[in-house]
Amino acid sequence: MNDYAGLLSPEDRVRLEQRLAAGETATGTQMVVAIFRSLEGESLEDFSIRLAERWRVGRRGLDDGVILLVFVADRRVRLEVGYGLEPVITDAVSDAIIREVLAPRFREGRYAAGLEAAVAAVYDRLGGRPAAARPRPRTPWPVLGFFAVFALIVALLAWESLSLSRRQRRRHYTLGREGWYVPVGPQWRTSGPWIGGGVRRGPVGLPSGGGFSGAGGRFGGGGASGRW
Amino acid sequence: MRAHVAVLVVLGILVAVLGGWAVSVNNQLVRLEQDVNEKWAQVQNVYQRRADLIPNLVETVRGFAAQERTVLEEVTRARAAATGVQLTPEALTDPKALERFQAVQRGLDGALSRLLVVVERYPELRSNQNFLTLQSQLEGTENRIAIERRRYNEAVRDYNTRLRLFPGSLVAAVAGFRPKAFFETSPDAATPPRVKF
Repeated sequence: MNDYAGLLSPEDRVRLEQRLAAGETATGTQMVVAIFRSLEGESLEDFSIRLAERWRVGRRGLDDGVILLVFVADRRVRLEVGYGLEPVITDAVSDAIIREVLAPRFREGRYAAGLEAAVAAVYDRLGGRPAAARPRPRTPWPVLGFFAVFALIVALLAWESLSLSRRQRRRHYTLGREGWYVPVGPQWRTSGPWIGGGVRRGPVGLPSGGGFSGAGGRFGGGGASGRW
Repeated sequence: MRAHVAVLVVLGILVAVLGGWAVSVNNQLVRLEQDVNEKWAQVQNVYQRRADLIPNLVETVRGFAAQERTVLEEVTRARAAATGVQLTPEALTDPKALERFQAVQRGLDGALSRLLVVVERYPELRSNQNFLTLQSQLEGTENRIAIERRRYNEAVRDYNTRLRLFPGSLVAAVAGFRPKAFFETSPDAATPPRVKF
């Protein structure tokens, strides 16, 4: 639960957080609600998937994270669904949740009620059914083991420093005191709402995704966008 | 005699070091190329997913707007053309092959957007539950296409960069690694095709 726009009252916030925690305990599925002031001209889907890639909500291997994004000024929402949940919370289901559950309440200005109902709808849909891991192409372990042995020999021959310093390091995750902190390279975002790491640029500040710990769920664009 | 041995030892170490380094560069390239191939498989998956939606979409629209025959036929034709072009990972080194793939998919983009403009004229169709479901699936698929294209391009960038970095590029040339083609964003596709109603 990250309310960067100050949309919810403290009581609503606490209640929603409890609802999210209860849902996660019951189904194992991690859901995060993030409220921003404005998209600042960014594409909703583009911003959403990059946020999902950054936060990595959901369990590793199961890829069962769900993110509900709200942009207050743009009156736009998006439900971003992790790979593993795509068969259960399909795009059509996500779309229905936004159009029929969330949007009507938002239109009446009942933001907390809309969010709560949407969170409840997502967890109802899961209904305690544990998400099945999605089969995906993956390097088999024997091959990895072979590479490991080979790399070891190579490293000994060519001296460790030579080969290791050149190896690509694409993403680093360190567990900070306030949850996951994901250092961000300079090649990342240069505009739009700021989503954690690096230098703070935009007016929308996003700390290290405080309040939850993403375990490595992956996203591929499942879910739906909507407006109210 | 002793100088002879020393020279041999130095040469031996030099060969071992160079060989080890070459193998390490080669393996990095193999790994990055594998990554590109996986991302490419994903790209084809999501395009296939879109193609799979179309027969159903065409049928649904026909149910309400049978008289729009030309547009419907155009979509069916564009779909057939698009599914006809599949690229093996080896073909990715050929920018023209990727351009062909993109061209047929763009043809389908165009046909689909024309169909969706036509749909505007049929309010009954637009409130049809089956159509709404298809519409959200199509939107989701377009979104997935944009994402997988970007991920593919990122993987290609990593691979091509490693390929061109000197002196690793020497190893790459000897081992026969070749640069892969990027997806290009044509002027009209600067923003991913969106399904709007």
